Amino acid sequence: MAMRNAYIDQFPEEARVIRAALWSSFLALMIGGTLGLIQGLHRTNVLRFIPSQDYYTVLTAHGVLLVITFTIFFLVGIFTWAVTTSLDRGVKDIRFTWGWYAMMSLGTLLVGVSILGGVVDQIPMNADVLYTFYSPFQAHPAFYVGFVLFVVGTWLAGFDWFRTWWAWKKDNPDERIPLPTFMALTTMLFWYLSSIGVAISILAFLLPWSLGIIDSVNPLLTRTLFWFFGHPVVYFWLMPAYMLWYTMLPKLSGGKLFSDPLARVVFVLFLILSTPVGIHHQYLDPGIAEGFKFIAMTNTMFLLLPSLLTAFTVVASMEHGARQRGGEGYLSWLKALPWRDPAFTGMALAGLMFAAGGFSGMINAGLSINYLVHNSWWVVGHFHLTVGTAVALTFMAASYWFIPQLTGKEIWNRSLGLVQVVLWFIGMTFMSNAMHRAGLFGIPRRTAEPQYEGFSFDPAVGTVAEIDAQVALGAALLTLSVYLFITNMVLTTIGGSTSDAIPDNTYAGTLSGPEDSPAIIDNLKLWTSIAVVLVIIAYSLPLASIIDAGGLFGPGIDPWKPSVVVDPSLVLESVRGVMP
Amino acid sequence: MRISKGGLLVIMAFLTPLIVELRTVLSWFGIRLSVVETGALGLALIVAVLIWAMWPSNGDTEAKLA
Ligand code: HEM
Ligand SMILES: [Cu+2]
Repeated sequence: MAMRNAYIDQFPEEARVIRAALWSSFLALMIGGTLGLIQGLHRTNVLRFIPSQDYYTVLTAHGVLLVITFTIFFLVGIFTWAVTTSLDRGVKDIRFTWGWYAMMSLGTLLVGVSILGGVVDQIPMNADVLYTFYSPFQAHPAFYVGFVLFVVGTWLAGFDWFRTWWAWKKDNPDERIPLPTFMALTTMLFWYLSSIGVAISILAFLLPWSLGIIDSVNPLLTRTLFWFFGHPVVYFWLMPAYMLWYTMLPKLSGGKLFSDPLARVVFVLFLILSTPVGIHHQYLDPGIAEGFKFIAMTNTMFLLLPSLLTAFTVVASMEHGARQRGGEGYLSWLKALPWRDPAFTGMALAGLMFAAGGFSGMINAGLSINYLVHNSWWVVGHFHLTVGTAVALTFMAASYWFIPQLTGKEIWNRSLGLVQVVLWFIGMTFMSNAMHRAGLFGIPRRTAEPQYEGFSFDPAVGTVAEIDAQVALGAALLTLSVYLFITNMVLTTIGGSTSDAIPDNTYAGTLSGPEDSPAIIDNLKLWTSIAVVLVIIAYSLPLASIIDAGGLFGPGIDPWKPSVVVDPSLVLESVRGVMP
Repeated sequence: MRISKGGLLVIMAFLTPLIVELRTVLSWFGIRLSVVETGALGLALIVAVLIWAMWPSNGDTEAKLA
């Protein structure tokens, strides 16, 4: 056998866990995408085959499966690849690795079944709470327990990567942290910091409330705790995509990463700034003073910086690659890029759409202009460009490189892969553009039937019917794209033949390496402390005033006399009451 | 061919947002296109790009790239 050096040859055990994680992710994508089509057709009244009452069950499943299950399972797989590859050592104990994977899967199962209960009579559960799940919506306890298991699973995954790095550091005391590991670790640090918010929200309030242990909660408090986590989670989705843009795109373009120090600065900025901005999702919430919202807006605008730095660095690296391949001229070098490669083209198109998403995001982020688009379909258009394309399309594109690495097999049909990523771009252009436009003239999001009697929306150009047609067309193309992707992956994995021609498992080299940056950049403790201080500044006063005004458990409810402490048998009673 | 087939495919895809939003832009100048007119304009653009891409480039150096 030829000397093949793919990931599966270097780390066969880890490759199995990563494969399992990616397949969990793909399954969620397939189901979630199908539900997206149902929503798109239902809302536009092109085809309605579910009763509108079931719409929220579908929408909850779509949201949770895509932005929690699909993205995060992919993340844990890819970060495991990044850490082991760049440290050139396996995880400490593969049983532990399988352990967190199993925990995340169990959590997903509980969440999935409880949501499914909304449409299947045989399952006596209900969790039509949307993926944001703050009160006053209440889910079956299994939903919250599943969610907690899933998140704790990711915490353990992070611990797995940290201890692999600690072991490496012992052997290499004077070396800089390799870039992919640096990216995974900084991402995990802000994930730990921010998921504390959702953990408190669930364990202290929502779960006891759903179990009947406490009678009420303070809705504004659970909302604020959710968004404490809910904004950083968007960067949790995005960071693996950024990592792929920094470490894979330059390599696929045939060149090197323009600047390693700049990439590190970007990830440090995300670590510091991801969390103290969540209140920008609550610009319209009464009960939070404008001043706090203004602080959140300022921090948010600073967050544009690392994304602009990324755009610059990644495009510069691509240009370097193109010139290595013989590209010339001001713009003609673009022709020298490997457009036939679905991994490259998908990631490049994803980055392009992210630029558009960034622009509509700036509108969302402005405290005053946000009133124009808040809770409208504009917002849905926005995040289908960001998480729905920048992240999702990057993940699909990267799979055309990773699945051969993890299976030792060639992609079943690369041309189909190219068609698939291009189809996503076209479908999303139609769907997302029309959603943005719809939002501008006031069509709301999260509604099964957005048409009203005695009232009609007034588009600036064209008609509502044309907008609806674009959404339905876009949704159909996107779903087709998902199915082409899944087909390709399945046939590669089960049908594909093992090949010796799989490229070596490497990532991009750098034009300017880590030695060009001061060592302080690698001081994770320092950046984490700054992040914590910023969070305290941004959140302590708002939280204090929310609790002061509305009570920990709702207005006028004395938190120190919860009924359960008085009579434990009541707890048992209430637990039994909700058991299926 | 002036560019690779993959490159051509990407350019075609990139025309989609341009065509879709061209209509909005034109409306600012008081030019209101119907859906059919937009479609026709889009088709014309696609044909133009196809012709440009298929036209043999002089010297044929660029065709070797990518
Ligand atoms: C086949 C592709 C997809 C289609 C056709 C689709 C369609 C839709 C539609 C029509 C809505 C709006 C529902 C409403 O406002 O009433 C929606 C919401 C949403 N989509 Fe998608 N989508 C797709 C892919 C994705 C992907 C890949 C992601 C993320 C990775 C995503 C995340 C979301 C989220 C978070 C919501 C909001 C849910 C809520 O309001 O609670 N979608 N989708
Ligand atoms: Cu946000």
